[in-house]
This record gives sequence, C-alpha cells and structure tokens, in this order.
Amino acid sequence: MTGLYIGLALILLLTIAVGLVRVLRGPTATDRMLAAQLFGTTAVAILLLLGQAGNSTAIWDVALIFALLAAVAAVTFVRRRNIDTDSHQEGNRGHH
Amino acid sequence: MSVVTFRWSRFILRLGGCLFLWWVLTGGRASSWLIGLPTIALALWVMNRFPQAPFWPISVAGLLRFIPYFLLQSVRGGVDVARRAYSPTLPLDPEIIEFPLTLPAGRPQMFFLNSVSLLPGTLSADLNGTTLKVHVLDRKVDPQLGQLENRVAQLFKCPLGSEK
Amino acid sequence: MGIIDLISASLLLCSLPFFLAGTLGLLRFPDLYCRLHALTKADNLGLGLVVLALMIQADSFQVVIRLLLTWLLVLVAGATVAHLIAHQAQQDGHQPWRR
Repeated sequence: MTGLYIGLALILLLTIAVGLVRVLRGPTATDRMLAAQLFGTTAVAILLLLGQAGNSTAIWDVALIFALLAAVAAVTFVRRRNIDTDSHQEGNRGHH
Repeated sequence: MSVVTFRWSRFILRLGGCLFLWWVLTGGRASSWLIGLPTIALALWVMNRFPQAPFWPISVAGLLRFIPYFLLQSVRGGVDVARRAYSPTLPLDPEIIEFPLTLPAGRPQMFFLNSVSLLPGTLSADLNGTTLKVHVLDRKVDPQLGQLENRVAQLFKCPLGSEK
Repeated sequence: MGIIDLISASLLLCSLPFFLAGTLGLLRFPDLYCRLHALTKADNLGLGLVVLALMIQADSFQVVIRLLLTWLLVLVAGATVAHLIAHQAQQDGHQPWRR
C-alpha cells in the first residue's frame, strides 16, 4: 500500500505543477488566485497520503494548515484588491 | 455597533465543540491539555468578541436528510464537471442567472451560498441583497436551486419568504 | 492484501481521474468561472475519495473523525474561496464566456 500512497502523491504533485501553467499565464490577477483553490484541495490530498505512507499523522496537521491558508489567502487577496481599487478611484477623482 | 448578548446554550455548544476538536486533533494525550485548555479559553473569549450572528438551531432530522442529499449531489457535480473537462468538444454553455433568495439572512443564506458552489454545474458568484447571481455551466440544465433552498430551510427550521 | 486494502486501493485509484479532471478543466475551460467549477467540484470529490480510503484504514475513532473534519474544512474553505474569487471577478467586470 505504501507504494500506492507515494505513487498517487507524486502524480498529484504533477497535476499541481501542470495546473500552475494556468496560474502563470493568468491573464488577470484573479485568474492567478485559482492557485489558492488548487493548493487548498490537491495539496491537502498529497499531505494526507504522505502522512499515511510515513505513518506519521503529524503531516495531517500540515494538511489542515494548508486548507486554512488557502481560505485566508483568498480573503486577503479580495480585501487588498478592494482597498487598491478604492485608493485608485480616489486618485482619479483628485485628478479631475 | 452590535449588541453582544451572552447565551448559555451557545457557550456550551462552543465549549463542547472546542473540547471535542482538541481531543480529536491531539489524539487525546493528557499532557496536551496543558496547552489546550488555555487555548480553548482564549478562543471562546475571541469568539464572544465578534458580533454574534442570529442563532439558528440546526434540526437533527433536517441534517440527517441533508447529508445523503449533499453527498449524492457532490458526486454528481464532480462527475458532471469531469465529464465536461474530458470531452473533446468541451460541452459548456455557461451563463449567469439571477436567483431571488427567500432564505433569511445570516447563517442559512451563507450555508446556501456555499452549498450552491458544490452542487452540479452551479457556482454562487455574487449576493446583492436578496438576489444571488449564479454562474451555471450549462443553461440547458435546470440547477434545481429551489429544491436546495427547501432543504436548507428544513435544516435550519426557518421560514422561506423574505420576512425574518 | 486484505479486503480492506483492496477497497482502499480502488477508492484511491478512483480519485485520480477527478484530480486529473480538475487540472484539465483548469487548462481547457474558457474562462475563470468555468475553471472554478472544475477545481472546486472535481478536486473536492477526489479528496473525498482519498479521505474515504484512509478512513477505512484507520485504527481509531479519532483518526476517522480527524479525516472527516479535514475534508469538511476543505469543503467549506473551498466553497468560500470559490465564491470570493467569483465575486471579485464580478467586481472587476469579468464577462463570462458564452458559446
């Protein structure tokens, strides 16, 4: 079974790597935020499999942190974008 | 400013939830409670400082009916989107539809919003007052959002209709 | 290899097509909204199958609950992230792709 866990984890790692092509291409910053979703699920699966293969469930705690971080990253992104847009609009108003 | 009211039922639920969570996460090692108990106390204090959402108790019967429905729909959603991704012709015909929400604001609406994104072919995109914009993958497929709304209403034992 | 291992291995193998579909959709689907559908729904189902495979291997009740909670957290976080990204795209005036 250990071979299967490791093998599957490696393939999943490959799907993340391929998925990152989309993140690199964008074209918008919002497209790039899809990385949060990609890591939020696939990376969690990889870590769960590695934990099971190594018989150390401490890695499962890392999986939980990944899931949380993906959500926090998305919230931060949206907040920042809104603040940026607001200040940008204010700047425009100042010009006219 | 929101009025923070203290409710014992909510406090007990949260305390129980935190204790259970810590027990599960640490595997119940006795020494871990040395860190766990102060952390839980801190967490409860922080939770209490947030504005409190209206309290909607969850109906156990509603939950038992919701879980199999949700699991089945999630599987259908995953299979549906996988089929479209593999198909050489890329069978997509997306559009954004507007759905008038009749669930009360707060937890029932949030629960509905999140469920919509996990069900087949639908993604909640924007909530404006009581109008939810939903992105659907295929406009020819009926998203059955009304059915989901009924289920969520049963879960929270809340009335359907805009009034609270 | 016992019967439990067999079921577990099949579940793991079943999860793979869904993870692949998520990435394939991410690359092939024409716009942000469709890509979100692919990532959210296909990957969540894949993870659900992995969690199920590990759950039947678990030797204690706590491990089962822990795996279940991990999946639930990913579900809730994933749905929230999907909504936030879609919402931001709406704010930015992203027009959905139409056939």
